[in-house]
Formats: sequence, structure tokens, C-alpha cells
Amino acid sequence: MIQLIHVSKQYDQRLALSDVTFEIGKGEFVLLMGPSGAGKSTLLRMLIGAERPDEGQIFVHQKNVTTIRPSEVPYLRRKVGTVFQDFRLLPKKSVFDNVALPLLVQGVSSADIRRKVTEALRAVGVEHKRDQLPAGLSTGEQQRVCIARAIVNGPVVLLADEPTGNLDPALTSEIIELFKLINARGTTVVVATHDPLVMMQVNRRVLTLSQGRLLPEQRVMG
Amino acid sequence: MRTNRTTTMVAILTTAFTLACVGVFLLLYVNLRTAAGWLQDDVKIMVYLDDRLAPDSVVEVEQRLRGDRAVASLLFFSKEQALGEFKAQFPSESHLLEGLGQNPLPASFVVALSPSFRSPDAIKRWAERVRQDSGVSKVDYNQDWIDALATVIRSIELVAIGIGVILSAAAVTIIANTIRLTLFARRDEIAILRLIGATTSFIRVPYLLEGAVLGALGSALSLAMLKFMYELFRQQMRTMGRFAGLDNLIAFFPPSVCLALVAVGMGLGVAGSFVSMRRFGEAKA
Ligand SMILES: Nc1ncnc2c1ncn2[C@@H]1O[C@H](COP(=O)(O)OP(=O)(O)OP(=O)(O)O)[C@@H](O)[C@H]1O
Ligand SMILES: [Mg+2]
Repeated sequence: MIQLIHVSKQYDQRLALSDVTFEIGKGEFVLLMGPSGAGKSTLLRMLIGAERPDEGQIFVHQKNVTTIRPSEVPYLRRKVGTVFQDFRLLPKKSVFDNVALPLLVQGVSSADIRRKVTEALRAVGVEHKRDQLPAGLSTGEQQRVCIARAIVNGPVVLLADEPTGNLDPALTSEIIELFKLINARGTTVVVATHDPLVMMQVNRRVLTLSQGRLLPEQRVMG
Repeated sequence: MRTNRTTTMVAILTTAFTLACVGVFLLLYVNLRTAAGWLQDDVKIMVYLDDRLAPDSVVEVEQRLRGDRAVASLLFFSKEQALGEFKAQFPSESHLLEGLGQNPLPASFVVALSPSFRSPDAIKRWAERVRQDSGVSKVDYNQDWIDALATVIRSIELVAIGIGVILSAAAVTIIANTIRLTLFARRDEIAILRLIGATTSFIRVPYLLEGAVLGALGSALSLAMLKFMYELFRQQMRTMGRFAGLDNLIAFFPPSVCLALVAVGMGLGVAGSFVSMRRFGEAKA
């Protein structure tokens, strides 16, 4: 489902990623670990073509993201749902409208939008906030809205960048359970985090980045 | 939101003033052309006949002219009529001709050409051709005058095109700047739309529409301003005795041209928003 081959990326002299190679199969749940600045966000951005590697090849859902035509990028992003580290919600749109956005840009009918958005909001448990603005929500609730927006499309891959960054342990485990549920329905899930608590809870395959390099893999047993 | 509305108003007004400047020249050009057309419609071509021509041959020439596609109407002017005309116009000089004993004035056909042959070039070509015909001694029309008029019209045409191009570019720039402000204000929203899979055209269409609306409104407003100035000008002419009556001869753009101008404004607006989107670089991921 996801494959990186000798991927490197530099930001003005600083190495963000260095010779990273790995593969993630369909239906896997993978944690991308590493301290702040290790290159996790850079890697996730590359998977949706928002950033190009300096070297190496990246394949997502059978598409070579490194050579993809710009006009094809939107269609890739419709297959890959992303929860951004900085949320990226539209402040002047209601929760419902924010979650509806990925469907809207694809021209889905309003009846289908209503149905799918309601489903997604119910899945993440913020159905009752549907008419509020993001600013009126707690951080945990905003995080859930982001997840709802990422899954509303029924993506084949879900990428989440630090989805528990601002949450207390109780909320963290709720979110983790949510991801497990989404994964159980067949969606490949990649979660980037530096939070060891998440690692303990997920108890799945872990890829560790350190200063842009991939460390040898380990399997955590809970 | 309020500042945005102000910017929009300013953009529409500036666009309108810019296009109105083009419009003034266009209006001048259209009216001059119409006037030139009337004058040209009145052009009569004299086809003088060979003095030794037998009556049969005169009929032959007439038949030939009547069969000519370019000829709208034809009037025969006999030697006697020519003499009568001369005497009527120059009574004091008529003794000059009498002294010659016989009538020296040739018979002629006065030809009016059909509308599609009335351009200066067409008149010239036709005259040149008929001059070669047998039985024709001379073809005459007011060539200098027609050529001069053609030159004037052509130079106004050039000036109008030049000014039109420059000021249209200015209008495009004005609209481009306005759209760029909107793009800048919405850059976060645009980035989000891109990240969740919106295509470039999905993102661009609203701004292209905005540009189209700005351009169309600017153009419509410029027409309104022009119409106002035009009415004022006519009013002024009417009150000045010397030009009274002339005010009915100048015309405003017909509705079809007005519509076309609004469409042109719309096109300029679309071009403006296209330019700003290119420069803004929202096409990047
Ligand atoms: N747009 C950018 N321009 C310049 N440098 C960048 C840019 N984005 C990331 N970097 C640098 O690349 C390195 C990796 O950044 P990245 O955001 O991928 O780390 P991260 O693992 O996501 O960290 P965090 O846990 O803080 O989110 C950092 O040194 C960062 O400063
Ligand atoms: Mg990050």
C-alpha cells in the first residue's frame, strides 16, 4: 500500500529524511515514532504529494508519488485521508461543513453528503457539535472533527500526524480506540507520534525515525 | 469583509473609468465611420463618353454598366443636359462655350455604386476598370477627398486600437490585483482545499467568476458613464444654435455592441483573475 525506496529530503542544508526505505501492507496499523524534528511530518506530507523527495521513490496505492502529474494529485488525496498536526479546520465553517468539504470538492450530492458526514461525525462521537464553529470546540473535539473529515470519504489509507499531541491520557486512548476501529474496517492506518503512551496502547508495528534516519524495526509486545 | 467590499467597489470603479476612456474613442470612431459612410454613399462617379461615339454604342455602354454588379443606379446625362447644367451654374461664362460653335461637353453616365462597393478601395478599383472600357473617355470622382477620409478613419482606428490595448491591459492588472487580495485573504482555505483533494479547476472557478463579475460590472458601469456623457453632449449641442440638428446624427452604441462590450469586460476580468492565480502560485501543492 505504501512503499518508500531510499528516500531523502533536505531543507536548506538540513537533512529532514535520509535514505529511508520501508513498506507498509494493506490493512496494516503502523506507528511512525521519533522525537520532534525527526522528520515524521515531512514523511507524511510526501505521501500525499505535498512535498517532493530529493532522492528516492515513493509509491502510495500503486501510484508513484514522485513522478505523479500535478493534475493527478487531487485524486490521490481523495484515496488518502489525512489528520493534520495543526488540524487545518476552516474557522468560519461549521463542524458539519468542515467534514463535508472532501465530499463537496468531489461533487458528491447533498443527500449523500448529509448521510456520510452524519455517519463520520457519529463514528468519532461529535455528532452533537455539528452546527458549531471549530473555535467553540475543545482540542479533543477538534481532533475528532479532523478525523471525521479524514475518514468521511472512506479512504484506503488514513494518515494521522500527532493526533494525540494535545490530549490527556484518557482522551488519547479514546482516539487510539477510534483508529483501531477504523483499521478493523480495512483501512490502512499510519499514525505519527512521539508519545510513548500511544505506542503502549497500539501495540503494533513501529517505524522509528531519528534525525531523518529509520532505525531498525522492533515489535512491541503489550 | 468590509474592507473587501471597499476594495471591490474601488476595483469596479477604476475598471469602469479605464474602460470608459476606451469607450470614448470607440464611440468617436463608430460615429465617424457612420458619418464617413453617409458621405461615401453620396459619392457619384462620372463616366464620360467618347465624343465620337455613335448612339448605338452609347446604348451598348449603358447595357454594360447596367449589367455590372457594382452599379446601383445609373443616370444618363446628354451633351445638351451638360451644357444646360453648365449655363445654369455659370451664367456669366456661358458665352465662352457659345463662341466655340459646337457643344464641347461630353455626354456621361452618373453612376452610384451599390453599398458593398462604396469603400474607397472598391471605388478606386471600379473606376480603374471602367476607364479601360471602350467608348469611355474618362472616369471621374472626388478621389482626393475620399482618400483623405479613408486616411483619417484609418488613423483613428489605429489610435483606438492602441489605446484599447493599453487600457485593457490596465483593466486586467486592476482586476488581477483585486483578486490577488482575495486569494491572499483565503490562502489558508485554499491550502486546505488542496490538501483534501480539490482539483485546480475547483479552486479556480470561484475566482474566475469573481473576475468575470468584476469585469462585467466595470464594463457596464463604463457604458452607463459613457451614455450619460453622450446625453450631456447632445444636450449641449442642441442648446448651441449652430449645431442644432447635428445632435440627431451622433449615435450611441447599439444594444448588441453594448452587450459585446460587457462580454469583453467579462473576458478581461477572467484574464485578470487568471493572471493573479498564476502569480499567486496556488497551483503548487
Ligand atoms: N518547510 C520547511 N522548511 C524548512 N525546514 C523544514 C520544513 N519542514 C520541516 N523542516 C525541518 O525538517 C526537519 C523535520 O521536520 P518535521 O516537521 O518533519 O519533524 P517532525 O518529526 O514532524 O517533528 P514534530 O514532532 O515536532 O512535529 C526539522 O528539522 C524541521 O525544522
Ligand atoms: Mg510533525
